[in-house]
Amino acid sequence: MKLRIKLALFNLLSKLVFTLLFLVFMPYLIDRINLIQVDNDLIQKREQVITLISKVGIEPFITSDTGNVFGSYNILKEEFISLERIDLKEDANYIEVSQRSIEGEDIDYRVLNYSFKVDGNTYLLEIGKSLSSILHTEKNIKKVMLAFLVFIILITFLTDLQYTRRLLRPLDLITKKLKGISNPSTFDKAPVITTTSDFHHLDNALIELLAHIDQLFQKEKDITVNISHELLTPISVLRSKLENILIQKEIEPEISTKIEESLKTLHRLQGLVNSLLLIARIESRQYLREESFYVEEVLHEIISEINPIAEDAGILLKEEVAKDFQFDGANRSLIFSMFYNVVNNAVKNTPQGGKVLVKSFNRNNNFVVTISDTGRGMTEDQKDTLFSRFRTKLETNGNNTGIGLAISKSIADFHGIEISVNTIIKKGTTFSFVFPENS
Amino acid sequence: MNVLIVEDERSLANEIASFLKAEGFLCELAFTGLEASEKIAINLYDFVLLDLGLPDYNGLDLITEARNQGSDAAFIIITARGAVDDKVKGLDLGADDYLAKPFALVELFSRIQAVARRKFNILNQNLNVGDFVVELQSRKITWKGKEVIITRKEYDLLQYLIINRNKVLTRNQLYEHIWGNILDDQYDSNFIDVHIKNVRKKLNEHSPTPWLETVRGIGYRVSLE
Repeated sequence: MKLRIKLALFNLLSKLVFTLLFLVFMPYLIDRINLIQVDNDLIQKREQVITLISKVGIEPFITSDTGNVFGSYNILKEEFISLERIDLKEDANYIEVSQRSIEGEDIDYRVLNYSFKVDGNTYLLEIGKSLSSILHTEKNIKKVMLAFLVFIILITFLTDLQYTRRLLRPLDLITKKLKGISNPSTFDKAPVITTTSDFHHLDNALIELLAHIDQLFQKEKDITVNISHELLTPISVLRSKLENILIQKEIEPEISTKIEESLKTLHRLQGLVNSLLLIARIESRQYLREESFYVEEVLHEIISEINPIAEDAGILLKEEVAKDFQFDGANRSLIFSMFYNVVNNAVKNTPQGGKVLVKSFNRNNNFVVTISDTGRGMTEDQKDTLFSRFRTKLETNGNNTGIGLAISKSIADFHGIEISVNTIIKKGTTFSFVFPENS
Repeated sequence: MNVLIVEDERSLANEIASFLKAEGFLCELAFTGLEASEKIAINLYDFVLLDLGLPDYNGLDLITEARNQGSDAAFIIITARGAVDDKVKGLDLGADDYLAKPFALVELFSRIQAVARRKFNILNQNLNVGDFVVELQSRKITWKGKEVIITRKEYDLLQYLIINRNKVLTRNQLYEHIWGNILDDQYDSNFIDVHIKNVRKKLNEHSPTPWLETVRGIGYRVSLE
């Protein structure tokens, strides 16, 4: 999972936890707040009533006609005010919840009780607010708060996501740079632009590290190239000397056979040095890659070259190649060698009466070439070391240095072609070459 | 024909010279670029075999020098560097051929022959081989004026043997001539045997080919008077 997603998920999760906590405590909190609000309201109303009485006196409310009681409520019975002349031993000033009966209906109210004296008489003022109306307000507040909460979480989650994306963009770029390289020399050395110093350090460290690795690789390749050159000159001398001896007319047949054997050995040495040189050159990209050609033509050419050998060995070499696949930006003679080595190998490893099939087709957006034989197949171990330069377990005749497939592999890498191998022991082997999509 | 061999590796230069002398060439040797430069300025050569890896000279400069002096010598570059751009540069500068070290002396000889035919316009390009005629220019082989159909590789093989007639060529030399250096690893003597077998079969349908000999333990030879 990407770091960005992980961070955003963590943020979301932590917010959800806080929200849950809040939801647990919210009813209690809102109750408290609401109660305080209601009580303040009642006290305010009490002040208003007291102010009114001190202005107009008690008479407009209470006379002997009204039986010393005044009462008023609104039609939905949400609130009421009552005034009563009573005898009280103690002053009353408190708020309580009590049930009142209004027009035969029992309703729970929060009631403020307040006693005061006018003209030597004690009056009790009661101001009530029905609990159901209080609960209703509470419910509304809860709804609004919940909606607001959800909204906030959503908004902050989205902004978090956006922000972390922006914040982590340099890291993404660095990851992409690393993913894209098959070779240290192809690493993009342009620094990633960022204001985050950690990423800056990371990027710099990577650039330096890869430059260093690249240098080492280059050195190793240079050494290979130089050693190869140094080896080729003495081989050259030796070869000319032996060849000059071989063409002498009066030479004994026994000796000429020995000379020929020496030349053969020398030729193997030469082949080995040249192969190493070839791989080193391909890997240090000394070959041009600017030709365009039809792959079917190359395959056809290879097949017609190897076919006489296959026929002689009693092997059916068959081609089923798709037409009109043009490979651009490639090196034809390298691609020729790449396929040639594999086809030749397949023919060599197939017993008499067997079959080698060279096939090409389009799969999804890729052009694919497969070379299958009905040979002896390989074990997993053999398959794993197939493309290594010098295989330890060689099952070939002395002529093959086992480097041919390593050459094919480096040519494939050079052209961005993917090679895969499917093999079943005693049944056969299939090599697949998947060409890059935009070729 | 006069040949200048420019090669700092003395023993190699000597071997090339001794081989070419046996083929009837007049050979001179230059072991440094300076020596070569002087010799080219004074003498007329038909061929210059030029090693690019000279200690004191960029070999390619010698071509330019020679051309500036109006020399029309044919240059054949021989080098162990074998870098791709060397080859391209050399041929651009007017070199006539390019040979990577190590090469077979018979290969060098056949290259010289090919360049000579091209460069000096040698008109008689038909060789009689037994009852057959090999037409070098049109690259075909005829029997009593009728073309014998053989593959390109088979023709190459046959022509190479004929150009180097009366010499035994090893299977390695034949293989290398036909398939070049790039496929060295895949060397398989069987390849040559199969092709020779096919050539013989195709030619024998018209006339026997006793001149195409198998030399036991070594290779093949075309023996001609």
